[in-house]
Amino acid sequence: MIQVINGLVYGSFLYLLAVGLVLIFGLRRVTNFAHGSLFMVGAYIAYAVAAYLGFWGGLVISVMVLAALGVLLDRFVFRPLAREDAVVTLLVTFGLLFVLEDAVRTIWGKDYLTVPPPPLLSGVIPMFGSTFPVYRLFVVAVALAVAAGLALWLRYSKVGLYVRAASVDPVTTGMQGVDTDRLSALVVAIGTGLAGLSGTIAGPLLALSPSMGAFIIIDCFVVVVTGGLSSFTGAFVAALLIGQVHNLGIVYVPELASMLPLAIMTLVLLLRPRGLAGAGR
Amino acid sequence: MTLLKLDHVDAYYGEAQILHDLSITVGRGERVAILGRNGVGKTTVVNACIGIARVRRGTISFGQKTPASIRHFTAARSGIAVVPQGRHIVPGLSVRENLLLGAAVGRKGPWNFDSVCALFPILRERAETPGTAMSGGQQQMLAIGRALMANPDLLVLDEPSEGLAPVIVDELGETLIKLGAGETSILLIEQNFSLVHAVAERYYVMSKGAVVEEGRLEGLTRESLKKHVAV
Ligand SMILES: Nc1ncnc2c1ncn2[C@@H]1O[C@H](COP(=O)(O)OP(=O)(O)O)[C@@H](O)[C@H]1O
Ligand SMILES: [Mg+2]
Repeated sequence: MIQVINGLVYGSFLYLLAVGLVLIFGLRRVTNFAHGSLFMVGAYIAYAVAAYLGFWGGLVISVMVLAALGVLLDRFVFRPLAREDAVVTLLVTFGLLFVLEDAVRTIWGKDYLTVPPPPLLSGVIPMFGSTFPVYRLFVVAVALAVAAGLALWLRYSKVGLYVRAASVDPVTTGMQGVDTDRLSALVVAIGTGLAGLSGTIAGPLLALSPSMGAFIIIDCFVVVVTGGLSSFTGAFVAALLIGQVHNLGIVYVPELASMLPLAIMTLVLLLRPRGLAGAGR
Repeated sequence: MTLLKLDHVDAYYGEAQILHDLSITVGRGERVAILGRNGVGKTTVVNACIGIARVRRGTISFGQKTPASIRHFTAARSGIAVVPQGRHIVPGLSVRENLLLGAAVGRKGPWNFDSVCALFPILRERAETPGTAMSGGQQQMLAIGRALMANPDLLVLDEPSEGLAPVIVDELGETLIKLGAGETSILLIEQNFSLVHAVAERYYVMSKGAVVEEGRLEGLTRESLKKHVAV
């Protein structure tokens, strides 16, 4: 049972990153291979700021900086890329990944750094006859809150409606008077802000290193593809699934653990070529 | 007062020039038609107005404004709503959501969800079903309803009769006459002569990306049109 919750924790990180990829892909049709390094940058910014303002200050600043970075990325990278080939996108966002990793390595070095959880969440609680760190439950709660918040926003707000419309038919949406470039800037900012959020809350669980983004991004793409590429619900379900598979794999078949998510993805795509969410969203 | 004016426009897709020195105006209260065979550039006139085809020479004025660069939302914000060819109902959105999308431009006026549904009762009945699940005729009503939600001064319709059964086309004509009798000006792009005859008062005929004939509808007969349009 404890293992299932640990799977949920990993799934939570996957969800927070995957949903950002889905948001960016939806509006810009750009696959952002640098998303994992945004997660990593978010973790380092939070680490740096936490020295002065504590964990929560680090969280707020990290999300804000990453969101601002998202606006710049949208304007100067994703918007021009939206008209380009997938190969160009791959090269550019991959290049961005190296730039960000190098920048972090230059500033903070390549050694592992650790971040303590905030005092408020550093305890353990009894659970299923043993104990479990409160902080891990906090991570799951954050992911659930984001999932619920995003779902409600997309479903019931005006802007959410424009986002859904623009991610299937940007031209028609623009014709109705929506400035889809401004909408994209907002949506990308939310996506990168969530990368900052997940980087921050990953800090106390994972050791910080410049390559921490590269390892999680593979599983994230597995989640996005398994979920059906542009489906938020699909990404949510797939993140939970891949989180479990990853974690149970590590516990029971460690030598196969890194392949299991890919195997699941292949299986899902064989059964449902358009992903879990199928044709719709 | 002119609502839409294309003044000696050359328009391109990439390097391919489609419109050649084309001039068209629609004034307030007018009902104007553009006729022409497939492929002569009728849709490109619309696309030039919404920033899909690039204007390299000449200007397009929306009301008083002559913007230097035309974006997808430019026309909508100047009170020009387009019912695009093929309707372009947004997949994944319900009928209600497609209508609300039409209100995105935020112009005030008589049209809202309730008044549009009073014009097309079927849209209220099917409000929660996906827009793309409806029949062609119903989707055309939805596309017109969505455009009305913008409370436009000018309604541009690109081949609205395409793919519709004759009785539905007749209904469409009645709706357009009703709308045209009110505050809304109409630019109707069509190959269906009877629909044009029922709705419009002035016409342009296009051929090879240019206007080759224009006039008032009284003077236009099926016979005189035959050389330009399949009737
Ligand atoms: N997106 C596009 N890119 C390049 N050429 C196009 C595009 N759309 C239409 N065309 C070409 O422009 C010409 C005019 O097309 P169009 O304006 O759609 O004609 P109509 O609406 O009168 O049938 C045609 O030759 C067509 O092949
Ligand atoms: Mg056409």
